[in-house]
Amino acid sequence: MSYLSLTHLEKSFGTLRVVKDFNLTVEKGEFISLLGPSGCGKTTVLRMVAGFELPTSGAITIAGKEVTDLKPNQRNIGMVFQAYALFPNLTVAQNVGFGLKVKGTPKAAIDKRVEEMLSLIGLPDLGNRYPFQLSGGQQQRVALARALAPKPSVLLLDEPLSALDAKVRVSLRNEIRAIQRELGITTIFVTHDQEEALSMSDRVVVMHEGIADQVGTPFDIYNRPSTRFVASFVGTLNTLNVQVLDAANGRVKLGATEIALGRSLPSGPVTLGLRPEAVTLGQGNHDTRLSATIREVDFLGSVIRLRADLAGQPIAFDTFNNSHAAPPEVGTEVTLGLNAADLLVIGG
Amino acid sequence: MKRLAAWAIFIFGMAYFILPLIGMVEFSLSMLRGQYSFEAYRVVFADPRFSQTLSYSVLMALLTIVFGALLVVPTAFWVRLKLPEWRPVIEFVTLLPLVIPAIVIVFGYIRLYNTSSWLPLTGSTTGTNLLLLFGYATLSLPYMYRSIDTGLRTIDVATLTEAAQSLGAGWVTILARVILPNVLVSVLSGAFVTFAIVMGEFTLAALLDRPAFGPYLQLMGANRAYEPSALSTLTFIITWACMGLIQLVTRFTKHDKAPR
Repeated sequence: MSYLSLTHLEKSFGTLRVVKDFNLTVEKGEFISLLGPSGCGKTTVLRMVAGFELPTSGAITIAGKEVTDLKPNQRNIGMVFQAYALFPNLTVAQNVGFGLKVKGTPKAAIDKRVEEMLSLIGLPDLGNRYPFQLSGGQQQRVALARALAPKPSVLLLDEPLSALDAKVRVSLRNEIRAIQRELGITTIFVTHDQEEALSMSDRVVVMHEGIADQVGTPFDIYNRPSTRFVASFVGTLNTLNVQVLDAANGRVKLGATEIALGRSLPSGPVTLGLRPEAVTLGQGNHDTRLSATIREVDFLGSVIRLRADLAGQPIAFDTFNNSHAAPPEVGTEVTLGLNAADLLVIGG
Repeated sequence: MKRLAAWAIFIFGMAYFILPLIGMVEFSLSMLRGQYSFEAYRVVFADPRFSQTLSYSVLMALLTIVFGALLVVPTAFWVRLKLPEWRPVIEFVTLLPLVIPAIVIVFGYIRLYNTSSWLPLTGSTTGTNLLLLFGYATLSLPYMYRSIDTGLRTIDVATLTEAAQSLGAGWVTILARVILPNVLVSVLSGAFVTFAIVMGEFTLAALLDRPAFGPYLQLMGANRAYEPSALSTLTFIITWACMGLIQLVTRFTKHDKAPR
């Protein structure tokens, strides 16, 4: 039986349905990311789990106990907010010990736990500081320690890295994941940053217009997107319209080139998806060869991103920088190599 | 030239405010002919009614502050958190005491709560004191509400509340340990204005026949020459001390040293 389950969750604000028939089961100790663009309903789902929003219908169960109608302060859930939300009037140690104090934990036990938590987040000497005396990254670490101190059953992270600069964001996301693994706490992480979601999660839920479009491991989400939205939202994807020659045997025509996909295709028009890294300049060891004309060359340092015209359709692909060979110039006719197995069928 | 004009306006303004005060203080020191003395102050302090009315008003002011804070902090917090669309209405209501004279309020009280009414509060001293307390709280409402609402604007009320809730806190804990300490400076500035209002208020106390400092000031003003000036000087000192305290409290609040 799963540790956390969200069953047929619905949430409407007036006539607007923000979350539609949302189902998710999370195992104990799992790290799940809710990924999607702004307004897709991911934060609303998180807020329903926290108890800040009541579902219009559906049920939320934690460790076999239904919590759908419980107040937020009765759910034993830890939450980290985008804006840190540290109490400005309390010191770091008092912030971390707040949840324990509310529970009526003896002072000695609070002090011990606070010390443990501050060591865990790597700020053992900052207990007497006030939040305004800390950097953004430090404040968010304290917020994490505060959420973890009362030993919550589930940890909710609401875009906790969004307000931080890029460098701190990367280091803190590694720290959060390491702490989560160390404590084995079930975690739901909301983000619109696909890199964060893919790098940190055991599984990712890609949300679109209130619906969970796909739930899967980062590898599956990236390599086997089940909907057109997931394919286009996660990573960079080239979309190529093709002419279907034989749907049953998966034969299509792209420009003048016939490609055997080796799998049956749905009826109607078909669009294929292709990740930039699946295309190489020159045929290489690939089974399919296509002609294209270079339209743009972006030198990014170690990587060169090229944009080309493939049978009247734009295609982007990357190549590593080679100090002995300059990238092709704009207007050059080139041969592109790819494997037909890398082509994703993403519908009409 | 511009600088000179600015200085001229500043000096004129200061003279406009300070000269009457200097005149008043000077007059309060002139009770004994031909010399400056504190005779007027001595007479005032020797009058038992002074200490009685002053202590009564100080007590009423403190009770009004506690009652006002208990009424306004949760109200402003709740409006900001759950009923933001009601904010203009609440603001309008809190401004009403500025346009409805105290005499209207007190006559309303007397009419509603007289001895032949269903709730005869004016029939007992405690009841009348209670009415006076409510009246004072009403008069200070525009200042108290505005001050606390401004304080609440400087913190992220919704997120702090949710953070506290997620840590197991109920509403009383949230208000007492999270919201109130973070708007304490605002509550205190509202409190000191309330204190100043209560100390000088005449209409409510006189018509409810309570031994407050305001009616005492009026009585002295009607019957004596120098003592009213001494009393006014003392009132000014009390008010300025309140203002000074606001500044001190602001300066000594540790967590308020940086913008949030």
